[in-house]
Amino acid sequence: MGCGPVRLGRHELTLEPRQAPPAGYTVLTAVAAIVAALALASVLFLSADASPAAAYRAIFSYAFLNPHGLAATVHRSIYLLFCTYAFLVPLRAGLWNIGLPGQVYAGGLAAFAVPLLLWREPPGAPAPAVVIALMIAAAAAAGAAAGGIAGVLRARFQVNEILVTMMLNSILFWVVAYMVKEGGPFMGATAEGESFTLPAPLRAPLWWGVPFTAAAALGAAALLDLLFARAALGYRIRAFGESPAAARYGGVNPAATSLLVFLLGGAFAGLAGYHNFAAIPGVYKIPGNYGYYGDLGFYGMISALIARGSALGAVPIAFLFGGLSLGARFAQGALRLPFGVDYALLGLLMMTFIGSHVLQAFRVVWRRRAAAAPEAVVGGLPGA
Amino acid sequence: MWELAVRSLEVSAILLLAALGELVGQRSGVLNVGLEGLMLFGGTVAFIATQATGNFPLGFAAALAVGALLGCAHGFFSITLRGDQVVSGMGLWILSFGLTTFLGSPYAGPLGLGRIESPAGLPPFFVLGVLLVAAAWFLLYRTGPGLAIRSVGENPAAAEAAGIPVAAIRYLCVVAGGVLAALAGAAYTLSYNPVWNYNFIMGWGFVSLALVFFSMWNPWILLAGASLFGLMWQLSLSPELVLPGILSRYVWRTLPFAITIPILVVISTPWFRTRWGLAKPEALGQPYAKG
Repeated sequence: MGCGPVRLGRHELTLEPRQAPPAGYTVLTAVAAIVAALALASVLFLSADASPAAAYRAIFSYAFLNPHGLAATVHRSIYLLFCTYAFLVPLRAGLWNIGLPGQVYAGGLAAFAVPLLLWREPPGAPAPAVVIALMIAAAAAAGAAAGGIAGVLRARFQVNEILVTMMLNSILFWVVAYMVKEGGPFMGATAEGESFTLPAPLRAPLWWGVPFTAAAALGAAALLDLLFARAALGYRIRAFGESPAAARYGGVNPAATSLLVFLLGGAFAGLAGYHNFAAIPGVYKIPGNYGYYGDLGFYGMISALIARGSALGAVPIAFLFGGLSLGARFAQGALRLPFGVDYALLGLLMMTFIGSHVLQAFRVVWRRRAAAAPEAVVGGLPGA
Repeated sequence: MWELAVRSLEVSAILLLAALGELVGQRSGVLNVGLEGLMLFGGTVAFIATQATGNFPLGFAAALAVGALLGCAHGFFSITLRGDQVVSGMGLWILSFGLTTFLGSPYAGPLGLGRIESPAGLPPFFVLGVLLVAAAWFLLYRTGPGLAIRSVGENPAAAEAAGIPVAAIRYLCVVAGGVLAALAGAAYTLSYNPVWNYNFIMGWGFVSLALVFFSMWNPWILLAGASLFGLMWQLSLSPELVLPGILSRYVWRTLPFAITIPILVVISTPWFRTRWGLAKPEALGQPYAKG
């Protein structure tokens, strides 16, 4: 059962469903999707009168060879990894968490609320380690709460989670604006539409120049893969994702599963917010362009999709995407490209992912037509 | 006050056009969650074409063409390949979000042409929207092809047995949905707010999708929902008309989205579903494999 054959002269082209894709094919399609997106991006460079070779050289050399660029790539990829997990966990249960930006904002706001409430300049300052721990906990809890709204509504009333998370994105976007702009409670002393800067003792500790969140992100990847491969809970989530009806028959509680994956996913997005606004050297505040970081969260969505739900598999992908998104911004300035190469790449990756998804599920068969080919049984395009 | 009413009807028209296309698509059993992306693409292409040529009809034609193309893409993935419709819709959205940001940014800024004339002071797209609502209602409930669309969305196997070409009907509905969504985007960038900005549609596509669920797949209820939401949107932009000086303007901006969530909850409750929910197309979101 495939789609209708496409006839070209005496040959015909059919897509036939694969039963089980061969081993290694998943990796191959992931690599193919990324390479194809990069190849398509060269059309964009050409249309902007830039040589693709020069553009890729600028992107890759800044992102992965320049010391400043490389450090920024590492910081960005930690952020993208947390976003990846935030999307990946609900996806394993068949649910779409497109609330990454909103949950990131919630995490960032909660992290900054803690020092606002607790921090005093010395003497009489609380132990910084305690405040930092509270900031992390608050960020995770706020992200989980934002995700949990979608989870509980899905669990209790079957409300579409795509709509709820998207509404929450818009709501939280304006909540951040309220908090950091025009005299909001978090507004910085310079009043330039951004939050106050985190006091030096409360900045996330660096290990070998990298915030400790790097270790958390990598550890979480291993734990997540272990959860889905070995643990009963992970099995229940996957079973629910494959077939909610069958899982329910097998004793999986659908409401509890929906809620749980959104709480866990939201917590990861909250941590992404903590990392991005409170742990990256040189930032330590919620900047006026926080919306850009929210948008970048969608790179987490695409890396989870391309990694096909494997958290460890997403690590190199997120690292690459972190570098690409940064390098694209750099190349934009260096080569005077139009704004938004990083956004275009996001769109192209989504397109090639869908293409690779088709190639994963179908085999393209090219064969010579039999002398008297019977009429196609399965309908193709109307009028074809 | 008149100004507010006209502006809110302009908002309603954009939501209505996009949602009406989605309603017809869903009636035929195909869900397109990428409405937002189609609106972004239609609006951006219309803006670029109009600015380049100074010709409004050309801009609208470009939007309709790109809408039909993206509708075909969604149809190919979800009808021909019988893929997951949510995957395809989300893909269309992110694809459009990314590409339009790049394609539109050299044109960022005002369109720089006069406003589109409106007959009798009424917003033209709202008039068009109401006419299309009436046409869609008539088509779906009073004609043979409408019955075919609804039966394909309810029970494609039975429709096929009755001689209805399921795939062709679904394609037509999905492409019509794409065209209408792109037209809605063009109405935004050429008429409501003729200034191109990255991600200008800011969630309206998802609001339109929510309106379809709210409408219980009835075009007249959709019209009412879109009208109310349009008014709410304009009020959230100028809250001083109702409650001057209370709360930051940013807090008011959250209101339209915050109200949508409880509405979605109410229409999803078992009570509401058993009372009204029979309208949901039975085969919505399910690919159909010919027997």
